[in-house]
Amino acid sequence: MAIVVKLDDLLHARRMTLTDLSDRIGITLANLSILKTGKAKAMRFSTLEAICIELECQPGDLLAFEADS
Amino acid sequence: MPTDHSTLLGITRGLLWLMLALVAATFLFVVASGGALVTMWPDIAAEAKNSEIFLDVDAMRPQLFALLAILAAILLAAVYIIRQLQTLVASAASDPFIHGNAARLRRIGWALVATQLLAFPLGWMARSVAVSTSQFADMGGLNLQGILAILLAFVLAAVFERGAAMRDELEGTV
Repeated sequence: MAIVVKLDDLLHARRMTLTDLSDRIGITLANLSILKTGKAKAMRFSTLEAICIELECQPGDLLAFEADS
Repeated sequence: MPTDHSTLLGITRGLLWLMLALVAATFLFVVASGGALVTMWPDIAAEAKNSEIFLDVDAMRPQLFALLAILAAILLAAVYIIRQLQTLVASAASDPFIHGNAARLRRIGWALVATQLLAFPLGWMARSVAVSTSQFADMGGLNLQGILAILLAFVLAAVFERGAAMRDELEGTV
């Protein structure tokens, strides 16, 4: 997939686990795991907003576009 | 606003079982009639002559066998359709928008096509053995409701396919 989710990098930089993030933003661990592993097909603005608020980042810090080779 | 369809589904389930029992009983009757044509032909022929419904009683036995065979095939198709509908109704209580249900509706559509195609030789066969004014000669032939049912099954299959695709997309949304 051309859109890469950099949630793992952001969590690592903030010394935070996926479980911590799940507890703080109220999105299930299963859904966050789908997002982290790049298996998600779509993302709600509300999810993006919650992650950006919690991790104090911009959407561009979380998502990147990498052209398929 | 979501509506509780459990009563409707319960009634549908009951009606489908009732229909299945009726179709199974009719199938058994058709098989028994085939057996009677073999073992009790002189009696049946005498009764048929008295009824004045049939054109040529002495020559109609092979046509009656063919007629019963077509009827049996139609009834088997009906059993298949009802079984598919039962599975579909069972899934409607939880999650009906799955690819399996789209395939099920397509199979129902094809079974209805087969039923409708079998109705033509059935009608032709009935008219060849019975006088045209009798009820016996009225069976089979083109049925507009049957054609509408075929169209409905294929359209619903397309709707369920789209619904299943949308469900897949929704499940991948975080």
